[in-house]
Amino acid sequence: MTIVRTETNVVVVEDDPASADVLQRRLQANGMNVSVGRTGGDGLALIRELHPDLVLLDVGLPDTDGYDVCLQVKSDSVTADIPVIFLSARGDVFDKVRGLSCGASDYLTKPFHPAELLARVDAVLSQSRRVRGPRLAKAAETTRAGRPTAIVALADPARREHGERVLGPRFEIIPVGAEGRAVDLLVVDADTNVASETGNEGPAILRIAAAGAPVTTETVALNDDLAPIADLAVRERQLGRDVDAAADALIALAMAFESHDRSTAGHSERVANRAVAIARSLGLDPALCQTIRVGALLRDIGNTKLPLGLVRSPSELTPAERRQIEQHPALGQELLAPFRPLARLLPIVRSHHEHLDGSGYPDGLKAPQIPLEVRIVAVADRFEALRIARPDRPAMSADAAVQILQQSVQRGELDAAVVAALATGVRGHDRGEAAGA
Amino acid sequence: MTSEMADRSVQPESTPRHEDRFIASEELARLAMRTAGSHLQLAHDDRPYQWSTTAYCDTYDWAIFRAAEAGQALRLRFREYHRTRPDEAFTSARVWLELKEDTVDMSRKERFEIAGDVVPAFLRGETDLTDVSTALGQKAAELVHAGARPVVVTQYNRLAYAAPEDRIRITADHNLIYLAVPWTTNDDDAIPVRIGPILARETDVVIEMKWLGELPAWAEELHGYLRQRAPADRPSKFVVAMRHLLGEAQS
Repeated sequence: MTIVRTETNVVVVEDDPASADVLQRRLQANGMNVSVGRTGGDGLALIRELHPDLVLLDVGLPDTDGYDVCLQVKSDSVTADIPVIFLSARGDVFDKVRGLSCGASDYLTKPFHPAELLARVDAVLSQSRRVRGPRLAKAAETTRAGRPTAIVALADPARREHGERVLGPRFEIIPVGAEGRAVDLLVVDADTNVASETGNEGPAILRIAAAGAPVTTETVALNDDLAPIADLAVRERQLGRDVDAAADALIALAMAFESHDRSTAGHSERVANRAVAIARSLGLDPALCQTIRVGALLRDIGNTKLPLGLVRSPSELTPAERRQIEQHPALGQELLAPFRPLARLLPIVRSHHEHLDGSGYPDGLKAPQIPLEVRIVAVADRFEALRIARPDRPAMSADAAVQILQQSVQRGELDAAVVAALATGVRGHDRGEAAGA
Repeated sequence: MTSEMADRSVQPESTPRHEDRFIASEELARLAMRTAGSHLQLAHDDRPYQWSTTAYCDTYDWAIFRAAEAGQALRLRFREYHRTRPDEAFTSARVWLELKEDTVDMSRKERFEIAGDVVPAFLRGETDLTDVSTALGQKAAELVHAGARPVVVTQYNRLAYAAPEDRIRITADHNLIYLAVPWTTNDDDAIPVRIGPILARETDVVIEMKWLGELPAWAEELHGYLRQRAPADRPSKFVVAMRHLLGEAQS
């Protein structure tokens, strides 16, 4: 992962072709890449695809209004940090306050002077970049040998030089902006917002307290103690990767077991992907998303301790066989319990067949005893199971499967917010496919 | 009730009031609010364009929603006000706990200002409203005992005009959003809770007229004007949100 410099990308959402053209030329003449959407739907699609540095948004649009588009941008955790400037002929204070209430950074009334537009664009971009900090891109694979690598990305040159001097004996210092090098440690100012990867991927990140500011639990001081702290942070990250590698080995075993059964091959991967999509929609942090992913992949590992003929049985199970199958969550927990670093996965493995109303198995837990990550995997598992054809029924469409799960919500079995997040994702996917058709 | 909740301010409305709800276009809403603004004062508790975030509770068998659909329910909700739209609920030091009971053609409401951090304890049943000499407080305690917890949230910008003592109250809600809330526990660290996903948005404006006794002539005229031009059989925000949450909304 390296720090890269990028050009300024702007999405203009404007239905009037002449206005859009003038804006596009004006911004391009000032070194910006400009993409234009003529409707709210087009604009949102561009914003989600390009993740621009800035959105210029008209209020009056043919399919919706700019306020709605702005709210959608600001409601999506992926796009919420993109600044929006309204451009509108509606100059009433009522309109301006409403636009700013929707989360816009500025509101400019048409007709406006080009110099004022550019000044406001620069002001908003400047503020936004201070908050968003450097962008990180994946590094090209390089052979890593010798000392770990570090980038010291402190804004103040004197402090940056100080940091590089302290870390120099233990780390190979990579200049800011160098591309294609794998980085083990990234040192940034305390207020820098670094877009980090999930789990233990990417570099360890240390935040340096501002000069004169007290050190908090989130920051470290820029002094000689920085080197051993940095060393520890990099080692912790490596240990995390080793734990991930152990989990990967278990997942490979579980997948190998699953792949013998054509009807369920790839099912766990789909459940994991679905569960992570739901978790992200609910705004869960990357570390919990990773727990959910690995937990979903390993949730049925207890099946490996049951007779193969029973697990693969195509016919309806007898009550006795069903009781035996229903032991797989407890068997999975037994199997994974010795791997102490994987303890965070155990609730998912043991409880992903529990229901909020106590009608699930193996423990008959009720709502307050079932954590959110377990509820998410339970919903993803049920949804993906409904999408597979069984001997007693055909595969269901996504919409039909959502309806079945909503009926389970109405009965009090599944979590309503989790199913709502699933439904939102399925509807969004359908809309995307329709738009692309 | 514990001492933590003792500093609440209670605003019981002992006389049931009338309430009508309209879905209006932006233009119609502006006209209505200009009219309201020329007769009434801006309401103190709903400053223009503050974001109202309201978390509605229901039980695991959705008893409150089912009763509300039938037109008679006691709704239990928590309301907060922010200058910018929060993506979490129960972030405020002070929260309004509201009990609102609807019958077919009347409603009554009681409001308690409570410390935000006592919400989980209230939902655990450790604090209650039984020392308030109203039936609503006792009914709310029964709902909490039955497992009521936050399930949906509405967020909107409210412009409110009201006559003294809320004899007439006219509100316009813009940017109305319905959201789910993944509430899993009543532990103290359950708050603040992140809200979402978004269940639906209302692109039009929700106008509500609430009044005690008879309407004055200008308000009667406005009410008739709105009835002619905007649908008046709109269900409550809670019912609309719950229909979306449970997949029962007409798409």
